[in-house]
Amino acid sequence: MTFAWDAPSVDFHALAPEIIVAATLVILLLVDAFTGEDQRWASSSIAGIGLLVALIPIASLAYDGTTRIMFGGGYVVDNYALVLKALFLLSGYVVVLLSTNYIAEGDYWEGEYYQMILASVLGMMVMASARDLVSIFVALELLSIPAYMMAAWRKRDLKSDEAGLKYYLMGVFASAVMLYGMSVIYGYTGSTLLADIAPKIGALATSTPLVTLGIVFVVIGFAFKVSAVPFHTWAPDTYEGAPTPVTAFLAVASKAAGFVALLTLLFVGFWPRHDVWEPLIWVLSAATMFVGNFIALRQTNVIRMLAYSGIAQAGYMLAPLAVAGASPEAASQALHSIVIYLVIYAAMNLGAFAVVLAVARKTRSAESDSFGGLFSYAPGLTVCMSIFLFSLAGIPPAAGWFAKLGIFQALASAGTTSGYVLAVIVALNSVIAFAYYGRLMRIMWMEDAPDGDVSPIRVPWSITAALVLTVGVTLVWGVLPGLVTHFTDPITLLAVGR
Amino acid sequence: MLALLVAQNIAFYVIAALIVFGALRVVTCKNLVHAALWLVLVLAGVAAQYILVAAEFVAITQILVYLGAIVVLFLFGIMLTRAKTGTDTDLDHGSGKKIISGVIGLLLLGIMGYALWDEYRGQEIGNLTVQRTAAVSDSIFSTYLLPFEVISVLLLAALIGAIVLARRD
Repeated sequence: MTFAWDAPSVDFHALAPEIIVAATLVILLLVDAFTGEDQRWASSSIAGIGLLVALIPIASLAYDGTTRIMFGGGYVVDNYALVLKALFLLSGYVVVLLSTNYIAEGDYWEGEYYQMILASVLGMMVMASARDLVSIFVALELLSIPAYMMAAWRKRDLKSDEAGLKYYLMGVFASAVMLYGMSVIYGYTGSTLLADIAPKIGALATSTPLVTLGIVFVVIGFAFKVSAVPFHTWAPDTYEGAPTPVTAFLAVASKAAGFVALLTLLFVGFWPRHDVWEPLIWVLSAATMFVGNFIALRQTNVIRMLAYSGIAQAGYMLAPLAVAGASPEAASQALHSIVIYLVIYAAMNLGAFAVVLAVARKTRSAESDSFGGLFSYAPGLTVCMSIFLFSLAGIPPAAGWFAKLGIFQALASAGTTSGYVLAVIVALNSVIAFAYYGRLMRIMWMEDAPDGDVSPIRVPWSITAALVLTVGVTLVWGVLPGLVTHFTDPITLLAVGR
Repeated sequence: MLALLVAQNIAFYVIAALIVFGALRVVTCKNLVHAALWLVLVLAGVAAQYILVAAEFVAITQILVYLGAIVVLFLFGIMLTRAKTGTDTDLDHGSGKKIISGVIGLLLLGIMGYALWDEYRGQEIGNLTVQRTAAVSDSIFSTYLLPFEVISVLLLAALIGAIVLARRD
């Protein structure tokens, strides 16, 4: 028996964004090793530049427009992957901007911190292109493991240690459940390639218990990642204890990566078995919306409130998946609405965290009361925060309304009872959510500053830059939603409409 | 059935019984060091099962990684962090939690066991083909080249982060 090793053809243009991010990580490591303590500020600049440079090959690939398939279909660079990679790079860049002062002033291992962010972003980028169970799992670990450690980065603080440990234990548990599901699917189909899995699990008219078990376990594994109820228990403690820029990173980029993996798995690999995962997603989505919003109502800490509101937002994003199998149009609507929601959610949530960071520089607290009278001494920040809260609540002209509209359209286009019921639940929850967004707004605009301290907040340039970016995106996309759909319309996933 | 397969079946059940016994001892044992040592039996049993189905590479990896690295790491962890290595009565939760976890465990066993039994009952494995290590290495460096490279970045990141979190300062 002879073995023939075929050299795989590697398309370096398609891999250029990933290679640039990995190279930046190595450069950062070397710079860190050969410079003194006083030059540590360079780390954040190098990381930021690296993330922006990686956008250049993404633009050239998008301009080129051909779908590039590598490793026998295991790694695909198409419009879907490019839009999401750009999202991950830009969110990573905004998180670097948010971190610059926080990490430097707290003396939290600057060089290593940015290396963790780059590694995690690299994992997300691989996730966007991965079409194979092994690549998806490896990408998930690469994006999660640095995130576990970043959550515990303020290591002299017990709360931060708790955040890291909880996140790590729950995350590893979820990975184990998911991996069992993947091994069952691999055992049944004999392939790790999603494109090969689909016809094999779809061969029978109804699912077998083993396939159902595998799909349910894999979906549950990612439900942890996107903090869907009842797998959300880690999120509030982790968000509160982790350093605030890391919280922003987890709430936006990490959650988006979980959704990307779910979309790829459900639309490409498990598509023929949508009769199995649709009811599961329906229940997860409805529970996530209600539990997230009702607990958010009771929060007195802005970061915890944003954590629970983020849980509820994950519920909105899951909703279109629950009816995606009704028709090819419903599937395509669901895919587009989720990607649009992810992009807009990233902008508005990162912005909200930027304001919380800026305010906490003065008040050293994220309690709702510390936002009292914000308008009297920081009108700019108050207006920014109001825009983000309007957007999160889904009120025009901030971009959130367009994202919500997409969800409703997708739910209605299915034309099934379960779709309409879910649409009503989304509407109901949007109203509930406005209660706590509105309360924070009232505190900022109407109430007096605690102990009459109205000295202005000095906002560092990096946070200002992050705010300009996120406010700009939130407003422009809210007024001209055509700019988002221009990027998202060409998106397709292989099996959709098949 | 071939004589070899009969022997293989007998070996399978003997090893499987040992694994189950070892796994039960891991969770019921009151001594943390003993629990770690019972885990050796479980993991070695799994390696033996891999050899029975002629998956040499996985079997050797199982021994190197799990027995050689992870159990040793457990033992070092216990030695370095806990002065007490004898019997520890605090290891167990109260009986209420025991019942809940027992019920959940049985439920999972039932569901997972039923799913596997339903799918593969009555099926027999034919003649085994040895899965050669050379074939594994060929696929790592062709089909799975990208995950392989990504894992190296993952290890680098894990190394950096672990040093930051673990070092005294």
